[in-house]
Amino acid sequence: MKEISVQKFELASIRVLNSISNSIKRRGLDSLTKGIRREHLIGYVTILPAFALILGLILYPVAYSIWLSLLEKHSFFPQERFVGLENYFYLWKDPEFWSSLKLGVIYSGWTILFQIILGVAAALILNETFIGRGLVRAIVLFPYMVPTIVAVILWKWLLNDTYGVVNYWLLALGVVKDPICWLGADHIMLSLIIMSIWQFFPFVLLSILARLQTIPPELYEAAKVDGASAIRRFIHITLPQIRGILFVVILLRSIWMFTKFDTVWLMGEGAGAGRFIRTLPVYAYMRTLTYYQAGLGAALAVIMFAILVVCTILYFGLFREEADIG
Amino acid sequence: MNRFKIQKFSNRLFLYGAALLLALQASFPFFWMASTSFKPPSEVFAQPPSFIPHQVTWDNFKRLFTSTHFLIYFRNSILVSGCTVLLTMMVSAIGAYSLTRYQYPGREKIAGLILCTYMFAPIMIVIPFFILAKKIGIENTHFALVLAFTSFCLPFTLWLMRAFFKTIPIQLEEAALVDGADRIRAVIHVVLPLALPGIIATSIFTFILAWNDYIFTRILITSDELKTLPVGVQDLFHSALIDWGLIMSAGMMITIPALLFFVTIQRYLIRGWGAGAVKG
Repeated sequence: MKEISVQKFELASIRVLNSISNSIKRRGLDSLTKGIRREHLIGYVTILPAFALILGLILYPVAYSIWLSLLEKHSFFPQERFVGLENYFYLWKDPEFWSSLKLGVIYSGWTILFQIILGVAAALILNETFIGRGLVRAIVLFPYMVPTIVAVILWKWLLNDTYGVVNYWLLALGVVKDPICWLGADHIMLSLIIMSIWQFFPFVLLSILARLQTIPPELYEAAKVDGASAIRRFIHITLPQIRGILFVVILLRSIWMFTKFDTVWLMGEGAGAGRFIRTLPVYAYMRTLTYYQAGLGAALAVIMFAILVVCTILYFGLFREEADIG
Repeated sequence: MNRFKIQKFSNRLFLYGAALLLALQASFPFFWMASTSFKPPSEVFAQPPSFIPHQVTWDNFKRLFTSTHFLIYFRNSILVSGCTVLLTMMVSAIGAYSLTRYQYPGREKIAGLILCTYMFAPIMIVIPFFILAKKIGIENTHFALVLAFTSFCLPFTLWLMRAFFKTIPIQLEEAALVDGADRIRAVIHVVLPLALPGIIATSIFTFILAWNDYIFTRILITSDELKTLPVGVQDLFHSALIDWGLIMSAGMMITIPALLFFVTIQRYLIRGWGAGAVKG
């Protein structure tokens, strides 16, 4: 019943819209503004479901986590107590927090750097014409599309200290004398970084490749005639063209690597050698679901959010020119 | 002239070598997973490792289906991802239509706000989401999971659908309207057929995102019979002795659907508009 009336309403309003041009001639401006107001109304009604879901499922929870960070709250029981900024003071003096921040910066810093370098290099290669290009492009993107759990079990198996194929090769080629304990305390951060680069650089590749395809070839032909080397062509033609998208990609990758949870958590699960890759998101998760301190967990999420906001503003300030292009 | 030819040849050689290396680094881990999943336990742990199994066996898959809850997880994954796609696509198709076809004050502000939420990471949403879900008593339900996935997917599906509707000339609808069709009819007969490739591709992106999720399921779902694949498979690691053959066969079973979907959308991906499409 309701649907029919909406339909009728829509139908009627469309007729109004339809006759706008005629009505200007026939009945003057009054009915025109009426038509526009109806259009506004339909516009708001149709965007409402999406807007309401985003408000209720993203913006409200994020706002609620600020309130939650001021409470002492058990994750499973309903008791809660307002403690003001106590959670933040606690974290300020908590060595675990500082070490997780440091580990998070190390992890995201290295992975972002190499993702960008590898992603841009691979995009340049896959932008050339060669036989089998389409297939290679598809294969290279695949690791980005599989579930993280699959990427993690693949790498845990490849890097297994006793039966892993990586150690087998390293030993067979004589690179090392004893098997490396890739997932032990000393090397787990390195393994995690390698795995994350493998998993996420296709995103950079894809974004850059899409932009490279739109650069007019004439730009390069002129430079070739002038005898510019490949490196000079990259610096003077390609780089200025991809600067805008590079700005966006670095921003997105930084946000997502700094807040990366599933890859890091599945690799170490926070305990044992996993302590050496306990980054900020993992620590926030553990406070909430290992120690059941939802207030502290929320405070960590808020701190993470604040760091991101500050860094994003700084980033936009530093690269104002690129931000305009992007 | 000759030097020029050598230069050109070595350039081609470098290009093919680099392309081969790129293809190998991406595919070898998957090849290794497939190989391991068909090996009997004795061969899984053999040194030196065999790249093609000497003795191909389906035993790992058989055990996966009979001795674990894999099929239940699989069903849950399909169910939850499917519902997420339905809800997300309905809301985002209507919303994107609104953002491209109607003029109203604040439209671009709403669009900008939606793009901003694209940057919010799951870890920032999931903790308050979990507490709120407990408060209204929907934790540990698939309903909560569908809502959570929708919150995660909606900003980018809306953005993609908006880009898609923008490419459909508005004049086509106007022509239909002039011909006497009403707006609903014009949408169904003119806009939808043209938008269909975009709707399908966006649906698959959404499906993959939901299919791949770990964090929301880990936090929101506690009962074993409600778990989805990523969480269910992670639990296989928690047995005393890690059964790599079994785990690799589970990995295969999760990857195959992802691979099928990937093959259908990869041309959209490479064409470029989907560059920012998948979050993570």
